Amino acid sequence: MQKRSFNLHKITDKRDLTDSTFVLRMERNGLEFLPGQHIQVGPPNGIHTREYSIYNAPSDDYLEILVREVENGLVTPALKKLVAGDSVVINDAVGYFTIEEAVKQKKTFLFVASGTGISPFHSFVKSYPGLDYRLIHGIKFAEEAYEKEAYKPSRYAACTSQDEGGDFHGRVTGWLEQNPVNSDTLCYLCGNCDMIYDVYDILEKQGVKSSDIFTEVYF
Amino acid sequence: MNQADAERVQAVMAKMGYEATEKEEDANVIGIIACSVRQKAIDKVYSKIAKWNKWKNKRNLITFVSGCILPDDHEKFLKLFDLVFDMKELATFPAMLSQYGVTTPVSNFGRINDDELIKAATPASTAEKLGFSGLKPASKVAAAPQTWEVEPVYNSSFEAFIPIQNGCNKFCTFCAVPYTRGREVSRPSADIIEETRNLIEKGYKSITLLGQNVNSYGLDKKGEELSFAQLLDELGRMADDSGNEVWIYFTSPHPRDMSRDVIEAIARHHSLGKQIHLPVQSGDDKVLIRMNRKHSMERYREVVGWIHELIPSATLFTDIIVGFTGETEEQFENTRAAVREFKYNMAYIAMYSPRPGAAAYAWQDDVPHAEKKRRYAILTSDLEAVAIEHTQKLEGETVRVLVRGKDRKDDFLSGHTEGKITVRFASDDDSLIGSFVDVKIESVRPFSAEGQLVKAEVEI
Repeated sequence: MQKRSFNLHKITDKRDLTDSTFVLRMERNGLEFLPGQHIQVGPPNGIHTREYSIYNAPSDDYLEILVREVENGLVTPALKKLVAGDSVVINDAVGYFTIEEAVKQKKTFLFVASGTGISPFHSFVKSYPGLDYRLIHGIKFAEEAYEKEAYKPSRYAACTSQDEGGDFHGRVTGWLEQNPVNSDTLCYLCGNCDMIYDVYDILEKQGVKSSDIFTEVYF
Repeated sequence: MNQADAERVQAVMAKMGYEATEKEEDANVIGIIACSVRQKAIDKVYSKIAKWNKWKNKRNLITFVSGCILPDDHEKFLKLFDLVFDMKELATFPAMLSQYGVTTPVSNFGRINDDELIKAATPASTAEKLGFSGLKPASKVAAAPQTWEVEPVYNSSFEAFIPIQNGCNKFCTFCAVPYTRGREVSRPSADIIEETRNLIEKGYKSITLLGQNVNSYGLDKKGEELSFAQLLDELGRMADDSGNEVWIYFTSPHPRDMSRDVIEAIARHHSLGKQIHLPVQSGDDKVLIRMNRKHSMERYREVVGWIHELIPSATLFTDIIVGFTGETEEQFENTRAAVREFKYNMAYIAMYSPRPGAAAYAWQDDVPHAEKKRRYAILTSDLEAVAIEHTQKLEGETVRVLVRGKDRKDDFLSGHTEGKITVRFASDDDSLIGSFVDVKIESVRPFSAEGQLVKAEVEI
């Protein structure tokens, strides 16, 4: 088996979701991945790359990543300037924030995301149609409920901390305190570390075992 | 890992006719196998090259750097060293040396394996600036061999290091290795078995299998190569059957990939060293989350449980970082509790320092240096207290020791036990270096012991 290193992938589409957030769609070029895994992506002439969870499903013939531009960042401003026809460098998909085959249809899942941390959950939901899940999305403003039409309204809750346009006004921690989970729920947390710490504490208090809590810290 | 890399660089240079010298002042070609894990090590590289570049005013000298290099340092090194290359390009090192002064595009963008991309990623202005406009890039970058495909020159006649895996997929937030070494790649099992067989036949006494995540060995091959447990089993069987006395070790493993069958393999073969290095990094689940370690304390406890159950005699070593970003007093106390619980024989404790290129570099380094020093001192004291419980059990016992060299204490030799506990004994017989001896332990310290030579190995 030939091990891949960094390779060029042509951008085929770019969807702007907000002023600063966009989805880059790129040629798949045979790259294999599991839902929840991430890739390193960078502009072709730069020396820096960043990790991005893959946004789409393995059954698609393309790759997508959800990107929020970081002011003065080394990678995201360059990615934002790219357009269809340009290329990016990508290497193999790796990562352990995945769902085991054996539990997919047997368990109830809680997905908690902050900001673009929703990306692996978008991949899960697109990949596993029968999944019994609830997705709680922590954002500042309702416009950041990125492509929420991908989720059934009964399964998705946007928790907006700075406007009242979401499904819940406040942080994801507030939603969880009002909506406790069953202790046998498998909980996946993705986003900034502070959110993960706070949610972790709440879930433990609600009786969820630490071995049933899976985390992916975004940095 | 760097030692194994250096041995391979040395082998390549030896084949070109270069002779090694211990004095850098005598060298015509001088280089560094860099390590980006700690900033201090990289600072030393800058200090060395500044000195060597001054020497260049007075004599001919070619400088090179390879190993574990972050993108930012790579850019700076290009201006300071004559040659900068990835270890994967080692096979092309002779060509680079013979074309000294001409850095190839492959060297500058070695992470990319697509010819088209090399062109795309190498603007003409850069090519001109670097002076390779007349030089064609290597056409088979993707086929560039791994370091291990170069036969090494072993620096010792009794201890050897065998690279079996390179790269890391774990992305711990304090570490830059995934950005410098790339993805996990496993060496073919047959090559490892062959190199080990040769070393055993030559009478090597200590062999260490190396990798950034040694027990993820084989995972990238998806069944095309042996698993790590199968590899250990094969090597253990081969070493046991050889009739030679040899201890085979490995480092560093990751708790996430440490399976029970690995521990079973170590237990099964007397030639597999009963010493396990299992980095915990922190004893607190939340710190482990922030470190992106991908293992919990529950998981770690499970692995240590297997070790205690299957190999009660095994020594346990670890790595710990104190003062990681956001580490609270309570979280530090959990690390102290872990040291007491797992009763390590040895822990390599480091005060956290942000490493450029690692994810955590962007986070505020919010534990003051004085507090890190305090935690370091407390944890070292805790470690000494548990470690000496182990070494005290050696008092009065006769232990097998591999003699590694002269001790700092005059007229003493020192070596280590199978569990890698340092043992020193009075002897001025240098011929014992590299052989096994029996030593009766008379006094102990937390991490070492001292005794009397009982019996030396008899060479037939």
